[in-house]
Amino acid sequence: MLAAGGAAASTGGCPADLETSAAASGRVARTSRARIAGLVSCLPPRRIENSHFAARFGSKLDDVVKMTGVRTRYWVEGGVTTSDLCARAARELLDRLAWDRASVDALVFVSQTPDYRLPATACSLQARLGLRPGIVAFDVPLGCSGYPYGLWLAMMMIQTGAAQRVLLAVGDTSSVMNDPDDRSTVLLFGDAGAVTALEAHDDGDAVHILGTDGRGAENLIVPRGAFRSCSTHPKFSGYPADTLYMDGGEVFNFTLKAIPTLIRDTIAAAGQTIDGYDAFVLHQANAFMLKHLAKKAKIDPGRLPINIDRYGNTSSASIPLVLTTDLAAAVSERAMRLALVGFGVGYSWASTTLTVGPLACAETVTL
Amino acid sequence: MSAFHEGLAEIFEVAVADMTPNFRLEDANWDSLAIVSTIALIDDLYDRTVSADALAACTTVADLDALVARECAVRAA
Repeated sequence: MLAAGGAAASTGGCPADLETSAAASGRVARTSRARIAGLVSCLPPRRIENSHFAARFGSKLDDVVKMTGVRTRYWVEGGVTTSDLCARAARELLDRLAWDRASVDALVFVSQTPDYRLPATACSLQARLGLRPGIVAFDVPLGCSGYPYGLWLAMMMIQTGAAQRVLLAVGDTSSVMNDPDDRSTVLLFGDAGAVTALEAHDDGDAVHILGTDGRGAENLIVPRGAFRSCSTHPKFSGYPADTLYMDGGEVFNFTLKAIPTLIRDTIAAAGQTIDGYDAFVLHQANAFMLKHLAKKAKIDPGRLPINIDRYGNTSSASIPLVLTTDLAAAVSERAMRLALVGFGVGYSWASTTLTVGPLACAETVTL
Repeated sequence: MSAFHEGLAEIFEVAVADMTPNFRLEDANWDSLAIVSTIALIDDLYDRTVSADALAACTTVADLDALVARECAVRAA
């Protein structure tokens, strides 16, 4: 049934409609009878231009901007959290879809910037949104790979009958973890939240590939703040331990090694060709990296939208943010065959091939 | 290595003729951005992924040439 990466091997005891197998780049999973009904992204109102950093970084600013491609990004202020952005997006989405709040069966919150160490933000978000008690709600602390991981989880819940309607909330306020003196991160990251509504539907097949390589954990990390401190590692010398550390070269190397293979496997697992896709929506990691990946994977740049210039790298929200900005008109008007590809911190990566649209709602709002 | 040197010259924003073996990378602002650009250049030209730490340890163009030659030889073996 599956032929991804030439290394497919059935797992045997799995029901046919939940069959999984292996590809060179990760585990392959097929889901059915679940589709995206709509989505809304939410940005904080404070837009930060590159001129904001001119005094701090001087002539180096232009070099970094040339590499990352980021010209503006949106940052929270005044204690606004990712859940605030997601709550605003969720309310807009539920209203636009005219979904009764009592009809939502599950809420998944994918973020690395939760409200508290405990409880899970999904629990408080369930109450804030007025969703009924007794639904499924939990957090997933993934970053750049989080959106396709979240889609896989939500679609599995629908397929298994655990839920008919699911809200998938994703996003991060990475700006609160930035070291203001580290130009490799402070210029790159933006804040955003996005909520996707998923529902049971007969035409809702999707193919997912999911993978992990924790050997890269220390290359993109906030070393202190939870329950293990690795801040004394020589790698972090000179960096404030409670801020985001990124080894850009090693993360770039990981991407070069892992993502072209993931894209190849994604296309093969879906039984598609590159031309069979309307767009490849990749996590907006950095413009230089995206252009290099497009070239390496032989994807026409016209089919690989890039919006990092306007929003920065918004972690798990970057893929839905492309859908509600550059692709909003298209997914509102017609069905699009998409490959959604997330990758980064962990290292963790995932892809989803699915058909999206025409959607009743694909919008970006401001908090 | 001529295409490699042309690419390096573009990254360092200097003339190709300046890419002599003794060219000192620190004189061309050999920072994390230049290293990422060089990783992409080597991937483009040779389909090889070179570690950022190995690149950071290079001090001259000759060191870069040797690193690339070594990487290509290892993979070919």
